[in-house]
Amino acid sequence: MASADSIIVSTRLRLARNIDGLPFPHKLAEMPAKQIVDKVERSLSPVDKFTRYDMHGLSELDGTVLQEKHLISPDLLESCPFGSALISADETVAVMVNEEDHIREQVILPGLSLDSAYERVNLIDDVLSRNMKFAFDNRFGYLTSCATNLGTGMRASVMVFLPALTMQNLIEGCINDVARLNMTVRGVYGEGSKAEGFLYQISNQRTLGVKETEILEAVDDAINHILDAENRARQLLKRDEPELKDRICRAWGILTNAYKLSTEEAMKYLALVRLGGYYDYIDIADGNEFQNIITTCQPANMQRLGGNQMSVDERDVMRARYIASSLTSLCKKTI
Amino acid sequence: MKCTKCGLRDATTEVLVQRNNHVEKMFLCDECASNFRPDIGLDSFDVLNKLINGSPMGLLNNFNNLFDAPTARALVCPDCKTTSQEFIKSGFVGCPRCYKVFEPLIVQTVKKLQQSDRHVGKTPYGAVDVATEEARLKSELQAAFDSGDYARISELSERLKQLVGNRREDK
Repeated sequence: MASADSIIVSTRLRLARNIDGLPFPHKLAEMPAKQIVDKVERSLSPVDKFTRYDMHGLSELDGTVLQEKHLISPDLLESCPFGSALISADETVAVMVNEEDHIREQVILPGLSLDSAYERVNLIDDVLSRNMKFAFDNRFGYLTSCATNLGTGMRASVMVFLPALTMQNLIEGCINDVARLNMTVRGVYGEGSKAEGFLYQISNQRTLGVKETEILEAVDDAINHILDAENRARQLLKRDEPELKDRICRAWGILTNAYKLSTEEAMKYLALVRLGGYYDYIDIADGNEFQNIITTCQPANMQRLGGNQMSVDERDVMRARYIASSLTSLCKKTI
Repeated sequence: MKCTKCGLRDATTEVLVQRNNHVEKMFLCDECASNFRPDIGLDSFDVLNKLINGSPMGLLNNFNNLFDAPTARALVCPDCKTTSQEFIKSGFVGCPRCYKVFEPLIVQTVKKLQQSDRHVGKTPYGAVDVATEEARLKSELQAAFDSGDYARISELSERLKQLVGNRREDK
């Protein structure tokens, strides 16, 4: 597996927009909120086929499934009574309506795809812009409910897999370096340096006073810095190769033989197997499929896969079976 | 400290009023501060109302030590009724108009958060790019001067005046 492919998981581009003349969602009444959703849905219909999810009518399980797939935010699910999401069939476009802002246009693509993700989200933005008047000010740019998103309203995020930096306690230094580049780093599952599965999200802090292309370049620079740091850390990790091989083989052994697995255990061992892919100890046929296994392992997605309501124990048993079967068909241990 | 407007009651709110090229500091009591209208202005001036409460973002000064009675009077957005205190406490505004009402407060916050207070990115469909429009009007105005088309000069001058006026309001 090439080094960048083994580090970069996915790219997300988000544009925050609001309708001119209307209160922002936390001050908005039910009727205009619903009208916004209807209008966004109608405007997007020529672009692609979107499925609409209204938060008030969504079961907890269905909502959590979307959240675990990172298609909607926890805030939309938990605190936005008139919130909705419009999600494309291939799940690469997810437009949240009435979350913190009236409209949050998002494109999520695998790997490092900043330019193509921006191209797609910009297209969605152009379509919506022709159908509704966005709140805009020549000085502050696109007006958002929080000043942290003013200007472009753009957040470009890249999900990265940083096991070597994390395992050798080098991640804090890396986070500080990236913060100096005006970027934010946060754990994707879990918080900060304790990120489960060694997955982190790197995103721009500044949204005002910079052009969209400059944001893309800045995030790209930060990602290159992280790639270098993680690659160096992976070489350091290999200095004790027998120990490294043992850890990865034990992880493989547990994942392919355990009778039951909790989410935390699954995340921890899947991360080691993924790292084994980088060192060619394990042959992983498809990195995106591997990421799908991680998403499916999350509690609500596992529940959805099982169909019926399951206890935690039953879910852990099912997770172990699912992982063993998926891994053995997708990967092969080569040492 | 007594209110610099009525001179009777204790001041609770510090206000900076910009008059042409200089800034004047005022300390207002609750009552005078409550009559203060940011959108029309005390005297139609650009104002900065520094409230006594500090910002949770740590970006605005805390004036608690300045006054005997630490109660702040909020500026209110006429559209959504969001107060400046709400904005300072939460970091959220309630509607697009809040950006005009709380502009001086927001500029301070935004400059520290974003290292800039000037948008340079994409504009929405149909929005006028002021700089481009200004250049275009100036060029047309020059052509009208050259050809001695006085009706056109008058029309273009008026449009240019409106555009520049809008830009000043934006600032």
